[in-house]
Amino acid sequence: MPLRPFLLAAVVGTAGILVMQQTGIGPFGAAENVFSDASGDAAAQRPSNDVSALALNRSSAPTDTATSGPEMRIAQAHEPSLPGQAAPSVTPSRNPASTGPVVDETALRYFAAQGDTRRLEAEIARLRALYPDWVPPENPLAAVPQGDPQLDQMWKLYSEGRIADVRKAISDRQTREPGWQVPSDLLDRLQLAEAREQLVNASDIKQYDTVVRVASANPAMLTCGDIDVLWRVGEAFARTDRRQRALDAYLYILRSCEQPQERLATIQKAAELLPRADLDQLLALERTVDGKPEFEPVRGEIARRAIVAADADPTITVSATDLALVEKLANAGGTQGDDLLLGWYYLRRDNPAVAETWFRKAVARQRDAASSQGLALALINQDRPQEAEAVLYEWRDASDDVRAVYLAAIANMLALRPSPQFAPEVLQRVVAEVAKAKDSASAEQLGWYADNFNQFDTAERWFRSALEWGPDSEPAAFGLALMRWKLGDQAGVRDVQTAWAGRSDRIPIVGERSIETAALAPRERRQVEVGVAADPVAPRPVKAVAVSQPRQPIELDIVAAPAPARSPVAVGQAGESQSDRQPLPQVTREAAVSYVAQEPPVSRKTPPRQKGDRVRAKGCRTTEDPEGMSPQAALTRGWCLMEANRPVEAAKAFEVALRGSGQTRSDAAYGQSLAYMRVGLTDLAAVSATKAPVGSSRSVEINAALLSQRATSAFQNKRYVETLLALDERARIVPEPLDLMVLRGYAYMNLIRYRDAERVFRAAASAGNRDAMRGLNDLWAARNPASTY
Amino acid sequence: MRGGWRNLVVAGLLLVGSSIPGLAGVIQSDEWQAYRQKFLDPSGRIVDTANNNISHSEGQGYGLLLAYLANNRADFDTIWTFTRTEMLLRDDGLSVWRWDPAATPHVTDANNATDGDLLIAYAAALAGRDWRRPDLTAAATAMASSLSENSIETIAGSVLLKPGNSGFGLNDRKDGPVVNPSYWVFEALPVMAELVPQGAWTRLAQDGEKLVSSSMMIGAAGLPPDWVSLRSKPAAADGFPQEFGYNAIRIPLYLLRAGNRNRALLEPFQKNMVDAQGRVRLVDISTGSTRQLLDDPGYRVIPALVGCVLDRTPLADDLKTFVPTDYYPSTLHLLALSYARRRLPECL
Repeated sequence: MPLRPFLLAAVVGTAGILVMQQTGIGPFGAAENVFSDASGDAAAQRPSNDVSALALNRSSAPTDTATSGPEMRIAQAHEPSLPGQAAPSVTPSRNPASTGPVVDETALRYFAAQGDTRRLEAEIARLRALYPDWVPPENPLAAVPQGDPQLDQMWKLYSEGRIADVRKAISDRQTREPGWQVPSDLLDRLQLAEAREQLVNASDIKQYDTVVRVASANPAMLTCGDIDVLWRVGEAFARTDRRQRALDAYLYILRSCEQPQERLATIQKAAELLPRADLDQLLALERTVDGKPEFEPVRGEIARRAIVAADADPTITVSATDLALVEKLANAGGTQGDDLLLGWYYLRRDNPAVAETWFRKAVARQRDAASSQGLALALINQDRPQEAEAVLYEWRDASDDVRAVYLAAIANMLALRPSPQFAPEVLQRVVAEVAKAKDSASAEQLGWYADNFNQFDTAERWFRSALEWGPDSEPAAFGLALMRWKLGDQAGVRDVQTAWAGRSDRIPIVGERSIETAALAPRERRQVEVGVAADPVAPRPVKAVAVSQPRQPIELDIVAAPAPARSPVAVGQAGESQSDRQPLPQVTREAAVSYVAQEPPVSRKTPPRQKGDRVRAKGCRTTEDPEGMSPQAALTRGWCLMEANRPVEAAKAFEVALRGSGQTRSDAAYGQSLAYMRVGLTDLAAVSATKAPVGSSRSVEINAALLSQRATSAFQNKRYVETLLALDERARIVPEPLDLMVLRGYAYMNLIRYRDAERVFRAAASAGNRDAMRGLNDLWAARNPASTY
Repeated sequence: MRGGWRNLVVAGLLLVGSSIPGLAGVIQSDEWQAYRQKFLDPSGRIVDTANNNISHSEGQGYGLLLAYLANNRADFDTIWTFTRTEMLLRDDGLSVWRWDPAATPHVTDANNATDGDLLIAYAAALAGRDWRRPDLTAAATAMASSLSENSIETIAGSVLLKPGNSGFGLNDRKDGPVVNPSYWVFEALPVMAELVPQGAWTRLAQDGEKLVSSSMMIGAAGLPPDWVSLRSKPAAADGFPQEFGYNAIRIPLYLLRAGNRNRALLEPFQKNMVDAQGRVRLVDISTGSTRQLLDDPGYRVIPALVGCVLDRTPLADDLKTFVPTDYYPSTLHLLALSYARRRLPECL
């Protein structure tokens, strides 16, 4: 026991000074001053009885092999003690050959006599710090009792931690014996003990400046003998944004202190306070203990911590080593916690496929709500919302977070295009859950789903429910208006339009299908419409299609909507003006669905643990040059940009996609012409349409749109014959929508073909078109120029 | 107030010069023994016996001051050790205000109380000078410096003492700033000025006196409330008993001990804080009605001391003898008696 701790303590003591020098804290920047003062005082104030004790000690110690202090230290440094080995004999505590300071070993011998090893070592450390040349006695027990029972009593009180009592005993004795001098050793020890108390208490109540102040005034207490104080000083630095000094403190410990448990605990404490880069500096001081790296037991925890930190802050990079370690731990019989940690990490880092494998492991370890929730999010992020729904159904009521993810799965599932045919039991439970949760977003998706199978009645009810559960949902109101229009419920359409006047760009034009609407309308229906387009004045061709082609009668029954209160207008009116909102202008319902799919409910609600807020892994929110993309990627990006209503960029992306072949090229041409049309570049749109053979339905769409543009443009330039030519050409391939019927009416009127104008205006007005009604008024005024009001 | 300080200094110098306890008799040894046995825990903390045996910075300050006045260095050191290691923990160098033996950690609220800080710094300054203890003088100077820097504020031209460094200011409370006139330990202020001359101590003393004077006008009680809101004109602060209470009853004692002989300031206390039997009244500020009567000699001695100063009325016999009761009145009793012995022997 004796030699090893002595040596360590010496190193520690010296380094303890160094810490405070490096950090330069406190009023005593130069710590040597503190020590030289102390040693000076010690020499000056040495009481006579101490000297006699030392003298006795010296005479009783074998002196034949006595060497100077420094040499001894070197010897010890190279040859740690071995039990039974003849150790170097006791060195006098004062080097007789020099005029070095007398070292007061009273406390040391007292602690040795008490068997108080901890204090003994601390005292040795302290004395080594004070007197670098001093060598501790080989056998402190060899000391002769001092013969001062009162002083003994003080030491006894001290060793019992009764500091205030020692102070009192000292004061009492000084009052009784005015000439009595307190041994400086005792005073120093008291001072340190009090400082330690103060430091610990201040640290406990987070008064970190006090901790640093006390430590810097008492550097002698910063030794490995009292590791807790060093930890507290390190913490005080770290908590007062003095990171480098905190690091210095921990570095000092790992360079100087030997206790394996304390070293390990030091790393653990530092891990809580220091950033990873600093921690790596500490880890670099790892030693090998019993053939093993000493920090191995905490490496896993540190790696986990890094991942947790990175999970909270996406700017943090986790080293491959850390990831590999946690993955290794997880694979080698780790916990479900590790699986989940990795799952969330990869999910956050846009790697849902890898996340899925970890969540699946977590589920395999224990099937529970948390692991299923993660798995579901990973699946949603891979556009597999159906699987997500299936995984999470069982846990849907576990918590609000889980429910939010479950509903997101439903919403995304319903938004899939083309709509898959869901198994009846799946659809049934989804419908039940949406109704139970009164989830507006999912109800809206059910509306579109029903619409997709041409069940407009059902769709209308779902949109009504969606509005009831989410009165501010413009997409739901849009859906409602659209369904009523398809159902021929003009009054119902007007109700919605009135309620949303000024709050939506597209709801007012439901029923006056724009170029955009025409261009982006679903193809299959368009094809049907082409077939039915015999009468251009047919007011509601879509409804006719819907009636004549109920394609999914079975599912329609299953998607039975609840019966919400029939007061969508009242619901709509509840909201205040939303002019500050920016709904996508003239978006079709497909665009609306895509819009929702891009930002599914999980992100609108409070996302669970702030995760999965990007349910859609891919996107086009960033600005990115499509040059260099593969044609297929550019195509995808083009459509995405169209959905995001960024047609100029979309046209560029489609240009790149045109370098592809076959279907890609065809799609690209189609897309580009749509993009150009959306920004009004009709000629370019026409050119694009010829760049590749587009499908017959698409060419119909494009041509119809181009002809609409041409007619409008001609009308604006007062070229009414050309207007009519374009409209006639268009009417040969697609039914004429009401707005173009109105345009046609005005063209006739301007050409003084009043009867034709009246026929067209009346047809459109009977479908509820207000412009047509105004047209009839204008026509009447034109025919009766004399009448004035 | 200057007289008080000068007197102490002179006494201290005498003490040092002659090595005879110059203040011996100011608080007699048996009085101090009785006090310490009842209220001083061996660990060095003064125990508030009427208040769940907690300790506070005020109590430590009183303990130090009384031990100094009793010239008991050993007990002073015991109290000082506890104060230093357990309570002088704040980053700003001041004391936490409360220490609870039943709580872990014992300090649950790190705020300070400036009366406690003043008392501790004051006692340490006196002891440091008279006993040649540079460590105590250094500690007192550091505290005075922090008080000057962190606890004294100027509001609407008045130099005031924050009751605690946080929680009482203009932005902390609806009725802030809130002050406590009984936190002005007037006798300590000239001592602080010696330690930290650049501090606004003189103004603080002058404006404190004005505060006492204006606080008396708040209600029908004709006495200052414990806690005063200075949001606009002085008013009893919200959230505290709106009364002349346990805090404020020591104001006249502090004034007298600082040498104040201003009749206009002292007379209302003599007139309004006692009933016909000489008991101390705790008084509803707005109505002036009695809320509680205090019979403890430690309380009764205060108006009696005012009577002595103003009218040379001798103290009643039972007030001249110290018998410890509870921590707070016993402390006040010793402070009053020690002052009377030095300065008003004609009333004893």
